[in-house]
Amino acid sequence: MRKGRVSNESARTRRQFLRATAGALAAGGFGAYPMRGYAADPVNIGGLYPVTGSLAQIGVGCVNAAKLAVEMVNDAGGIKALGGAKLNLIVSDVQSDTTVTRTETDRLISDNKLSAIHGCFASALTLIASEVAERAKVPLLTGSSSDQLNKGRRFTFTPFARASQFAEAQLQMSKLVGDKPKVAVIFENTAFGTSTSNGLRELAPAQGVEIVLFEPYSAGFTDASPLINKVKASGANALFSVSYLNDLILIVRTVKQVGLDIAINGGSGGFVIPDFYKNVGKLAEGLQGVAHWNHDMNDDAQKVNAEYKKRTGEFLFEYAGGLVAQTFMIAQALENAGSTDPQKVRDAVAALDLSSGYAAMCPGGKVKFGPDGKNIYAHPVGVQWQNGDLASVFPQADARAPLIKT
Amino acid sequence: MLETLAQAVINGLLIGGIYALVSIGVTLIFGVVKIVNFAQGEFVMIGMYLSFFLATQFGIDPVVSLVVTMPVLFVVGVLIQHFLIRRVLGQNDMPQIFLTFALSLLLVNLSLMLFTANYRTVHTWYSDEALHIGGLYIPLAKLFAFALAMVLSAALWIFLHTTDLGKAMRAAAQNRDVAMLMGINPNRVFCVALGVALALAGAAGSLLMPFYPAYPLVGQVFVLMAFVAVVLGTLGNVPGALVASLMMGVAESLGIQFIGADSGLIVVFLMLLLTLALRPSGLAGGRAR
Repeated sequence: MRKGRVSNESARTRRQFLRATAGALAAGGFGAYPMRGYAADPVNIGGLYPVTGSLAQIGVGCVNAAKLAVEMVNDAGGIKALGGAKLNLIVSDVQSDTTVTRTETDRLISDNKLSAIHGCFASALTLIASEVAERAKVPLLTGSSSDQLNKGRRFTFTPFARASQFAEAQLQMSKLVGDKPKVAVIFENTAFGTSTSNGLRELAPAQGVEIVLFEPYSAGFTDASPLINKVKASGANALFSVSYLNDLILIVRTVKQVGLDIAINGGSGGFVIPDFYKNVGKLAEGLQGVAHWNHDMNDDAQKVNAEYKKRTGEFLFEYAGGLVAQTFMIAQALENAGSTDPQKVRDAVAALDLSSGYAAMCPGGKVKFGPDGKNIYAHPVGVQWQNGDLASVFPQADARAPLIKT
Repeated sequence: MLETLAQAVINGLLIGGIYALVSIGVTLIFGVVKIVNFAQGEFVMIGMYLSFFLATQFGIDPVVSLVVTMPVLFVVGVLIQHFLIRRVLGQNDMPQIFLTFALSLLLVNLSLMLFTANYRTVHTWYSDEALHIGGLYIPLAKLFAFALAMVLSAALWIFLHTTDLGKAMRAAAQNRDVAMLMGINPNRVFCVALGVALALAGAAGSLLMPFYPAYPLVGQVFVLMAFVAVVLGTLGNVPGALVASLMMGVAESLGIQFIGADSGLIVVFLMLLLTLALRPSGLAGGRAR
């Protein structure tokens, strides 16, 4: 399973055949005849996700959601402006590795005529994929939160909350639990962790939150004890952990072993996926986090969640839910552009202004991109583990359940 | 401050015990068979999954499941020696290196296919409990793991020094040709060495399961430390690997505590670099025991 590539080989050869015949016919003097009309070619969109390697476990969920989203678009009649053309999802495995991400993105774009791409879940990977997509002039939609994705890019679009916004929401949530929060921030030291935690440190004074420990760590450690030992020594009463799942499991368990009485906010990433609860069990109850998407947001989200749950047995987690919305944004852009040309699709994405349907399925329920590719309405939701499910609890407008104080 | 320091040392020793089980296996195989087993971490992973399924399907406590994982992996070790490694011995280095490296890739991807990339954890009554002594705490799961790791290391030492087979293994490690001249059957000795080394990896897997999640790539987290410990403690030297593993655990923990959580490994690799520069054959000197 080195290559997790899913593509429809027979469709492709048929397409090549059609194209060749069309070419021959055109050469024979039928050039003016619109060949495209009778068989709506499927529209290729790329999905870049780590299906193997250390991030595979979330990547696999993303691919399941991406397939579901494409099915939903196709079952609803495809892209009407293109004669009911179906979306054809081509998944490429970026193997949780930055070098592989570069070559795979390159290969995906040069081997296939793509109209748009979504991916890659991890910020470190997305930054690379975005560079490649920019050069190839193919629009890339991503739920990754790194603020760097909004700098000097024309083809990269981020419909959901940015790392800096996550930080603000997290700080505000810490004040819901206690008046004088003394926060310890521990974070994994790649793009995801550093951008999130720098946001926390910059915004803390304005929010009246004191940060007593600010500690980067390298992901994939064998033992969380030394790190928690540091947290304990810092005298913090709230812990922000910006971590991927396996580290977080160890952190939460170690906090319990130490007997440390501390309110944990796990942020996003590995914290807001079903696997976290499966692994941590009851210790997870009451733990808080932030997400760019949650399945209890509105009826559309609940509907997609129900279908995803039926297929996989798990609720639709943040990143996967977000990319379902992204697929519908791409579909809408194709609809508006009436073309599969990536340049035109890019312009149509940039011009989107949505407030209903699956494409607008995000906190706040509106999508409109600013010149930096940010959705101007995007903001995160504060979530809390309650009875094995993730409930939206913050801010007031997005809350679907009250915050439980532990 | 003193309390923090003491806690850091305790944390380091406890995780060092696990490093020891992995590195002793690597060093034993290298000492006796003269082959570097790059797949040692993957056998830890297999031990973890075995314990996981024994725990979830039959309700067997992961630590108790040692009695299953160790024999099973012993047999796997014997089979691997007999059917795979035996064929590349005596050839040049490349086939030997690529054999275990390929085995590692194969096992990782096979387990990705069979078990998916999900994390699996087992919850035991002691998973989240700890002994509290003064301001210090000792997590029970890690204490059990450490204690059993020490018992197993001691048992291996006794085996190597008191039984004929053990002595034959040491003889083969010291000088294979002379050992063969003395009538020692090398293939039998090699099979036992592989078997024992993999049984230790299986034990490490079982002991890790109560406090560490199992996933296909988990072996690589531990094998890096094991390789450093093996070099630090002199290649092929069992007590050397044990001492080096404990030292590395403590060095890592102190590094995290007093330098930074992303530089715990810096201390470990600094130790390695200094050792290689000052005592190129490792802390225990040039002897394989």
